Amino acid sequence: MAQILFYAFALFTLACAVGVVVNKNAVNAAMCLLLSLVGVAGLFVQLDAYLLAFLLLLVYAGAVVALFLFIVMLLDMKDTAAHGFRKISGFASVFALGLLVTGVSTFVVRGRLTTPNPNLAAAVGTDLKHYAYQLFTTYLLPVQVIGFLLLIAMLGVIVLSKRWEGLDDIK
Amino acid sequence: MNYLELLRALLPETALVVGALLALTFDLSFGVRQSRETRLHAAVIIGTLAVVAAMFGALSAGVADAVFGGVLVLDELTLASRLGVLMLAWLTLTLTGGTARLRHPAEFVAIVLFATAGFTLMAAAQQLLVAFLALELASLSLYILAGFDKSRPESAEAALKYFLFGGMSAAFLLFGFSLIYGLTGSIELPQIAHQLARQGQSPLLSLALVMVLVAFGFKAAAAPFHLWAPDVYEGAPVVSSALIASASKLAGFTLFVRLLWPGFGPAAGSVATAAGSPGWLPLVACLSAASLLLGNFAALAQSNVRRLLAYSAIAHAGVMLLGVIVAGDAGLGPLFYYVFTYGLATIGAFAVIAVVERAGCCQKITDLAGLHRRSPLLAGCFAVYLLSLAGIPPLAGFFGKFTVFAAALNLGGLAGPAGWLALLAIALSAVALYYYLVMLKQALVVAPADPASAPVPVPADAAIVLVFTALLLVLLGLFPSVVLRIF
Repeated sequence: MAQILFYAFALFTLACAVGVVVNKNAVNAAMCLLLSLVGVAGLFVQLDAYLLAFLLLLVYAGAVVALFLFIVMLLDMKDTAAHGFRKISGFASVFALGLLVTGVSTFVVRGRLTTPNPNLAAAVGTDLKHYAYQLFTTYLLPVQVIGFLLLIAMLGVIVLSKRWEGLDDIK
Repeated sequence: MNYLELLRALLPETALVVGALLALTFDLSFGVRQSRETRLHAAVIIGTLAVVAAMFGALSAGVADAVFGGVLVLDELTLASRLGVLMLAWLTLTLTGGTARLRHPAEFVAIVLFATAGFTLMAAAQQLLVAFLALELASLSLYILAGFDKSRPESAEAALKYFLFGGMSAAFLLFGFSLIYGLTGSIELPQIAHQLARQGQSPLLSLALVMVLVAFGFKAAAAPFHLWAPDVYEGAPVVSSALIASASKLAGFTLFVRLLWPGFGPAAGSVATAAGSPGWLPLVACLSAASLLLGNFAALAQSNVRRLLAYSAIAHAGVMLLGVIVAGDAGLGPLFYYVFTYGLATIGAFAVIAVVERAGCCQKITDLAGLHRRSPLLAGCFAVYLLSLAGIPPLAGFFGKFTVFAAALNLGGLAGPAGWLALLAIALSAVALYYYLVMLKQALVVAPADPASAPVPVPADAAIVLVFTALLLVLLGLFPSVVLRIF
């Protein structure tokens, strides 16, 4: 049963990911991305990582993809959709596919993909309380740094997007 | 968990961040009615005080082993790299006060300080998570600094290219880190090294190392990941380019050399003999050779001063990667000395460009013609920087090259790729000398195009930067052991 579920979710994720690339309509591509993320969340649930699955749905499928859709609709990207693929991108994709096939076949032929010892990874725990405790003790510094990262992003948005009346006032 | 210990180790970052917030607050509360000039100088003074406080913080944090359960490490490399980064940031700030005409002066200074906090954190990080976040803290600030000049479309182009390449390389780095975590079950470098030594080579490890090296190549502007560098050096505001070319390089090399040697050291392989053994060293050697060839030959074709400096930066990245290769054997001294003195010379060269651009346009090499008549100080300092970059004794650039090449030849003589790389770099130094001399000829020999051209005024702040960097390059060239003895 678990095997079937895994393959079902994996196939679903991959199919939706292909849909993101192939779709010429940007809105449809964003929706495919959303479904692909739902598939990944399903895989996480199978690994008993409920919190991760929930966060993935909430943050990525919920907030980030919604932002994508906003931007796609704001920009009204109809013109770019009509162009399709050019010759050079065709060559590039064939080249990339060749590299990918070579890489994967090397793995299959030479690889001894040992599963790492699961005991190695210190279990942070799947429950929210344990997770939050770790976040504000062991990983306190990264959380602080991310806070400043957001501050910088905000400053950058203000500086780069603020409209100015006289553009040559400092020249 | 000792939070006081963590705070003590993070004194420089705290000082910088507080300084950035103060600069913003001061500008919002007192700067509203002031002229842009006054606001810029107020912000620069606050920023300078923050950088000086951070230097004292770095000194008082001193040298200690792992801090806060191994998140940070305060060894000699951390101390030297933090002080070096702070000095380069101070020079950038002083240059900003002298030459920049900015629409948002306080925000500019605040973002420079945030970027510097990212650099100092990069210098101390010993855990993959903190390393990645410090790198992003610095990178995000640099993207904004590159696009700060909204009156020039080139600036926006530079910022966009830098951002897209940077985002891509961050994705590669994160993928590589997650594979490393999956392989070793730890994000702390000592445990990773322990596990890697036990496990040996595996395809998954190779994949992870390649991904980490892609990000390293981007940060170092090494070929073939250099495509952003010429456009960013040319399009970004001069002071931003100076910071990107100097302090960011020093911090990036500190972070990655710490990742590669103490962290992934057991997977290093060897390049001492012709047969060698697999690992990340052969890959770094390939990057180094590609950067040396592409940087030096592409620089020959440039007519824009900033683009020429960008291609010469790519060539220098090749030598720095050679310094990373020898760091396992010869220690970190040669690499640190090379990157630091390179940063000083580059910041000086950009200071000259900033002053000349302030007096009129300077995009082409021929625009430098007659600089010795228009401003002897600028021309003299420019000669010091370029000769140091070219590696002419007794300047610091010569000694940097000398120590790196000597260490590379000591690895295995001419029996292996390390020795061949050193020979290649020595041969290409002659090519580099040619394009540096072409610039110097314009500045020192050629008569000005317009005989009546006005002298170039040098602001006091910029003069401090020029004289300080030129003096330091001469002194470090005469007494290199001052820096080399730290390690």
